[in-house]
Amino acid sequence: MERTPIVELKNLSKTIHGKKIIDDVSLLLYPGQITGFLGPNGAGKTTTIRMMVGLMKKSGGDVVIDGQTLSADFEEAMSKVGVIVENPEMYKFMTGYKNLLHFARMHKGVTKERIDEVVRQVGMQNRIHEKVGTYSLGMRQRLGLAQALLHRPKFLILDEPTNGLDPAGIREFRQYLRMIAETEGVSVFVSSHMLSEIELMCDRIAVIQNGKLVDIRDVRETRESHYYIEAAPAEKAAVLLRTAGFETEPLESGVVIQAEKAQIPAVVQELSAEGLDIFAIQPHRRTLEDEFLELTGGGQLAETAAK
Amino acid sequence: MLKLLQNEWMKLWSKKGTWIMAGLMVILILGLAGIMKWSESLAGDEPDNWKAAVQGELEGDKASLESGLLKGESKRLAEERVMVNDYRLANDTAPLQDISREMMIYDPSVGSIALLLTVIVAAGIVASEFSQGTIKMLLTRPVKRWKIMTSKYIAVLLFGILLMLIGFAVTILSAYVLFSPGGGQALAVSGGKVVEVSVWSHGLYMLLLSFANVIITATFAFMIGSVFRSNGMAIGLSLFIYFTGSIVVALLSRFEIVKYLLFTHMDLTMYETDFRLNDDITLPFSLAVLAVYLVIFLIVSYSVFTKRDITA
Repeated sequence: MERTPIVELKNLSKTIHGKKIIDDVSLLLYPGQITGFLGPNGAGKTTTIRMMVGLMKKSGGDVVIDGQTLSADFEEAMSKVGVIVENPEMYKFMTGYKNLLHFARMHKGVTKERIDEVVRQVGMQNRIHEKVGTYSLGMRQRLGLAQALLHRPKFLILDEPTNGLDPAGIREFRQYLRMIAETEGVSVFVSSHMLSEIELMCDRIAVIQNGKLVDIRDVRETRESHYYIEAAPAEKAAVLLRTAGFETEPLESGVVIQAEKAQIPAVVQELSAEGLDIFAIQPHRRTLEDEFLELTGGGQLAETAAK
Repeated sequence: MLKLLQNEWMKLWSKKGTWIMAGLMVILILGLAGIMKWSESLAGDEPDNWKAAVQGELEGDKASLESGLLKGESKRLAEERVMVNDYRLANDTAPLQDISREMMIYDPSVGSIALLLTVIVAAGIVASEFSQGTIKMLLTRPVKRWKIMTSKYIAVLLFGILLMLIGFAVTILSAYVLFSPGGGQALAVSGGKVVEVSVWSHGLYMLLLSFANVIITATFAFMIGSVFRSNGMAIGLSLFIYFTGSIVVALLSRFEIVKYLLFTHMDLTMYETDFRLNDDITLPFSLAVLAVYLVIFLIVSYSVFTKRDITA
């Protein structure tokens, strides 16, 4: 990748009571790209994110945001960052507008016009002058997004942003994130345990387990094609396919093989020639979930309790 | 920093509770004045016999001075009282009447009410950010934590000052509406001479002295609130020390250490009355002790708040 990264995690570590919660995590995040942060509960997602935004002190390593080191120049580094940590908790006793005004005052150069612009962007013009206590969860999420965008951040970091949103809300949220990543070149880092969500939203995923980064990959990279074959007797089919040089993997009452489309007619002919009954041959799409579970060993609870 | 303070002030006054507290301040002061008015009407019109009372006090003080039992501050106070009372009899200058317009302004009793209400605000200003979950929003801004903490502390102090001023204004108002001028002149000893004291300057001085207690107790509440993130605990502990302080001092009065306890110095208005918790302490000494405690409370508050990992 030739672009310069906007955020760099350098050997980030966190030790609590002598236990390594986060162990040597290094990661680059690029402008215009949405990176998903995946991991089972307790793997260290929230801890990593909180260290990236200064809510928790790191034990080792560093976070560099747009050239500024977080620990050396907190204010400069954070002025580039928009944050939504879990449910955006607002001051319920104030109106949405006053909440935005409150946060706007904590950044340099956010004008009243900018506040109005963001309010329009998230479509809250009608209710912005009502108290946050009267808002639905969806409205609060939008307000949460608005406060994170006020100062035109170059880097947006979201911790479980779709928690509690209904499917329509999630979809809207996703489209919105894509839009700002593409049009404004914002780098987005989003943690979630909802895999389908991450798969739809992200360009790239980073997987963390037991405090260690175990995988970073592009989501859209062409996957190896797989086919699901159901034939009887199944054992014989598996043996035949293996001798033909395919890797097989049992799934339900059939097997999954890794093969190109062009190879399939030959496979069918061979199976028929051997007198097997073929019930189904279909392309098999491995979901992120399969890969994730494979990667993290069935998603068993991590030993560490980072939350 | 001004913007941060603006934020804290906006949050403070967006809460209904704050308006209720300000209202309570007004109502309590008015109520107190009302009760005084009522007790005045009960007392009836006794003939004003201030000379006999002054004579009696004078003889009592002289007797105890001669007995040689008084020492330190108590001795000095008795000597001053003798000087003032001699002057009153010699110059036919009556003291302020207990229930009169002048007396209300001379000794405005707004300190303890302002203290209670300021403690509530001080206890909650940090703790409530944690309980509402807004702390995450607040601390992920390009603003260092100590600045946020300072804006909160200043907001508490301003709130305290505002309450004192509201209280004093209401006191003056009720003094003029409810009470008639009682005549008399306040006197004090200054530089070895008896001088006349204006009720206004003395009233303001009393406010200032009682504000020290507001500051120290509110700072304590601020500390507990930011260390334990618990509003209720901060209010509870602060009021506990406020109310039990004098008992602790009384229990420990035999020991030297009592001079260095916070409780001994919290109520500085004692320097304007005849009652001392301890005979060896003076106003500058009290101020020094209070300053030390104040700095300790603030160091604890700031260091815990700026170092804390936000996990909630």
